[in-house]
Amino acid sequence: MTTGTTTTADEAPLFGPESQFRDFFDDPRWAPAMIRATVLEAAHPQIGAALADNSTFVAHPWRRLRNTFLSMRRMFDADPAVREREAARLNRLHARMSGSDSRGRPYDAMDRATRAWVVATLFESAVTMCRLSGQPLDQDTMERMYAEYRAYLAALDGDAGELPEDLNDFWPYFDRVVEEELENTEAARVILYRLFDHLPAPALLGGAPTLWAAGRAVVGPLLGAITVASLPEPYRRKAGLPEMPGAPTLMQGAYLAAGLTRFLPAGWFDAETIIEVLSLSPESDDPRARTVTALHARIKQASALLRLLAPLGADTAPDPAPGPSGESRRSAEEFFRQVLDQTGDGHLDWPDLAAMARELATRLDLDEPEETRLYDAFAAWWRELQAALDTDGDGRVSAEEYAAAVPSLAGPALIRVAEVLFDATDKDGNGTIDAQEYRTLFRTAFHRDLTTTDGTYGRSAFVGDFLAFMSGRRTNSPYDPLLADA
Amino acid sequence: MGVTERGEQRRDEGPPRPVPRHVACVMDGNGRWAQRRSLPRTAGHRAAETTVIDIIEAARTAGVEWLSLYAFSTENWNRPGTEVDYLMRLVRRVVRKHAPLLLARGIRCRFLGVADPRIPRELAQDFDDLATLTADNQGMTLTVAFDHGGRRDIVEAARSLIRRGTPADEVTEHLFADHLPFPDTPDVDLVIRTSGEQRISNFMLWQVAYAEWVFPEALWPDFRAPDFLACLQTYQRRDRRFGGVPSQTNGDPS
Repeated sequence: MTTGTTTTADEAPLFGPESQFRDFFDDPRWAPAMIRATVLEAAHPQIGAALADNSTFVAHPWRRLRNTFLSMRRMFDADPAVREREAARLNRLHARMSGSDSRGRPYDAMDRATRAWVVATLFESAVTMCRLSGQPLDQDTMERMYAEYRAYLAALDGDAGELPEDLNDFWPYFDRVVEEELENTEAARVILYRLFDHLPAPALLGGAPTLWAAGRAVVGPLLGAITVASLPEPYRRKAGLPEMPGAPTLMQGAYLAAGLTRFLPAGWFDAETIIEVLSLSPESDDPRARTVTALHARIKQASALLRLLAPLGADTAPDPAPGPSGESRRSAEEFFRQVLDQTGDGHLDWPDLAAMARELATRLDLDEPEETRLYDAFAAWWRELQAALDTDGDGRVSAEEYAAAVPSLAGPALIRVAEVLFDATDKDGNGTIDAQEYRTLFRTAFHRDLTTTDGTYGRSAFVGDFLAFMSGRRTNSPYDPLLADA
Repeated sequence: MGVTERGEQRRDEGPPRPVPRHVACVMDGNGRWAQRRSLPRTAGHRAAETTVIDIIEAARTAGVEWLSLYAFSTENWNRPGTEVDYLMRLVRRVVRKHAPLLLARGIRCRFLGVADPRIPRELAQDFDDLATLTADNQGMTLTVAFDHGGRRDIVEAARSLIRRGTPADEVTEHLFADHLPFPDTPDVDLVIRTSGEQRISNFMLWQVAYAEWVFPEALWPDFRAPDFLACLQTYQRRDRRFGGVPSQTNGDPS
């Protein structure tokens, strides 16, 4: 900026570190704005149905948040190759999502108008977040940002034809969709009313369920109220959302306070650091994890002392915490809830297994054709599970059906999944997983008790451990942070 | 040395032996203590609490680094249901009452056993909490054997070895000991069993291999710090030979 060059808006790159999008990246106002955008997306019947069927955001919100964040960061990367690759990945991911909603209307995650709406909500929420925090954007910045978001859509869809070319036409488009197309969908209601009240603790705070629940009881309803108050009035009316006295003030206060962090020294608020730290598992060997582990230990001790000092009569209510921590096996029900039911709808069906495949493919950064091989292996496993477990023939597996037939989980198709996963993890194809490949999948170094020889991890040990996790329900395995953490 | 009485196992030369590193107590005689006073057996258990706290403090002050207490054996489940229930409630109350004290005294607490599903979940949670709370303490380590059986621990270690697929030739005493619960526990130097009973009763079988035993006549509720110190002195006067070889660590006879 000090060189004094006079780049016009046309010449300035739309992506990369100079973009308006990047400016907002570490802005704490993004947090409420993203929640708001997500509600507006979920209120779209097509997206709402896709979310309700496929998304893991109820059961694993923190993992989902991290993936979304990293994906957006890649989509605005300065390097076009990174952007193209991410766009291709997102397109493959969305191409696997289609179906029909509870009223039988079909949805398709590749629908162009629907995808334009997602980008529209992101843009509109960014503008709104600036307005609400008392620092509205000037017209030039707004137009530049609109161009960035259209370019984002174009990168995904080939062109941005579904979004009006001019910013002046955008607002009527946005208002029309809000008034005519948005509905009071199940997904929007879940985000507004259920997600925050039941938000599972991120990995960092996983050991302190009591503290987390106490904080959530206060913050959950506040977040809900703030989000509701920031939604467009026509939608609030249509969805029958409450008008609570004081909520608009609270909402503006929250945005204003979040906006004040701009006076903090640069680098104090770094979204990536925060998200990474939240998703750090205390057992991982990341250098930061040592601090986290220490903090984690302190939190655990504090909550242990709290529980010990609490009067005895108070704990007649069932304690949600599981039994002795030394337990190395979990109950069938726990395993169903934490690992199998990835979408958190109480049933095991294809989207749950697809979500697992998606998470593994994301971790391993798979391209075609490995990604399809992994999905195919999971699909075969799903057919095997369905045949073995779906006793009432409703096309999905309930927790009861699962509990009644646990032992038959480790069939040949599951072994096949393990083998495909091994091949995908073994990037150099030398038949063993070395420390680097292991780290890519589990984000941690080899575990002490791992059956490794010469610092590598062989196929049979890998397959054995995967089966032990999936069918033996062994906990404290490296798969826990991968598939069970929120 | 000058003041020692003439005992059959008296040391003949050298300075007095140091304080035992690891002392274990079999807390016997609560029921008899109550019966002698025509009280219900449960009153004896209640009276034991004072002794427990007294002995913990005495051991810490005397410089004992590891103290193990046998609170409840796997065989104790055979006692009448009401007594077991009472014990569970009592232990829970004691744990909660003394948690801050144990933390402040720098005592690291942990619970050996605690595997039976009959243990109330709240109690198991309190055990966990107390262990978590005091995990970083650097003072004496207090191991409370609760729902403990020495043979069961050994069987568990064997299972763990087999599960790991360890070849038979590689199993040494040292490796085996690594698979016992709390493998950092050193060998027990001194076992005190109150009330004059002279049995092992399936208590930390592996760890007591080279232990000295003393059997004071006092019932556990009457047992106090001076009695405990007297037991330490008895130990210090004895000549420990380990069959001619000294041992300091668990399962390492070499």
